[in-house]
Amino acid sequence: MKIKTTLLAAGFIASMVGVAHANDPAKLNDLEIAHVAYIADNIDIRYAHLALAISSNPAIHDFAKTMIRDHTAVNEQALALLAKLDAQPQDNFLSQSLQENAEKLITEMSALRGAAFDKFYAENELAYHKAVNDLVGNTFIPNIENAEVKSLFEAGLEIFQAHEHHAEMMVGEVN
Amino acid sequence: MQKINRRNLLISSVAAYTVTGLNLAQAHTTPAEYTINIRKFKFEPDHIDVHIGDTITWVNQDLVAHTATAEAGDWDTEMLEKSQSKSLQVTKGMTGEYFCVFHPHMKGTINIK
Repeated sequence: MKIKTTLLAAGFIASMVGVAHANDPAKLNDLEIAHVAYIADNIDIRYAHLALAISSNPAIHDFAKTMIRDHTAVNEQALALLAKLDAQPQDNFLSQSLQENAEKLITEMSALRGAAFDKFYAENELAYHKAVNDLVGNTFIPNIENAEVKSLFEAGLEIFQAHEHHAEMMVGEVN
Repeated sequence: MQKINRRNLLISSVAAYTVTGLNLAQAHTTPAEYTINIRKFKFEPDHIDVHIGDTITWVNQDLVAHTATAEAGDWDTEMLEKSQSKSLQVTKGMTGEYFCVFHPHMKGTINIK
């Protein structure tokens, strides 16, 4: 499965493999999808804060600040839309898997320093955005029912695709 | 009724030519205004031909913040949040490439005629 392979490449979803048949991302409802997106945004913000704390590379700092700024802006839009719809995001298996694997990755990254951290962070950002873009573009957007939620995800995908492009540039700089 | 003769026609033609000439001269000296929309992580248009003294306004229509910043560093709109805009008057130093500091793959060029 393409999605599963990509997520594994990002190194944060290994625990999903065994439960993929029981928990299908394509079966999530709009509020569960919104929850996944909110968690995914916050995970990348946490990675960025870690990068600002550990790295001394200006390119890494610039990218990390952009991730904090952009993902915060997207989350604010998402929360505003949910408030308008008088709805609450719903926790689900995928949000939990993302969160658990992010914790492991943050522990791993926290032990790295210097060029080793920069390389790991840059490559993880590229893999993470590729995986999330694949999930959002090929699974979430086709299955979202509410037009306003779908529109926000389409705008979000454009942003995350720009991040993926930016991450490619960053990987080139640190390698 | 005024009689139309060759002399009057000649005077009218010269007058018309002079007015047209004045308008053409004014077209080059009256500052123009241009708008560049920032949409879907692109500057639209991404190339613009301007004269010194013209005004360029960048309008951010994306959800996230952007900048328009000279590659050479001599001018900068600074951060434009969603729906914000910034106008700059074209000066000699503005010719060349610019980009978004936050998303460096976003690029545009200004050509001063």
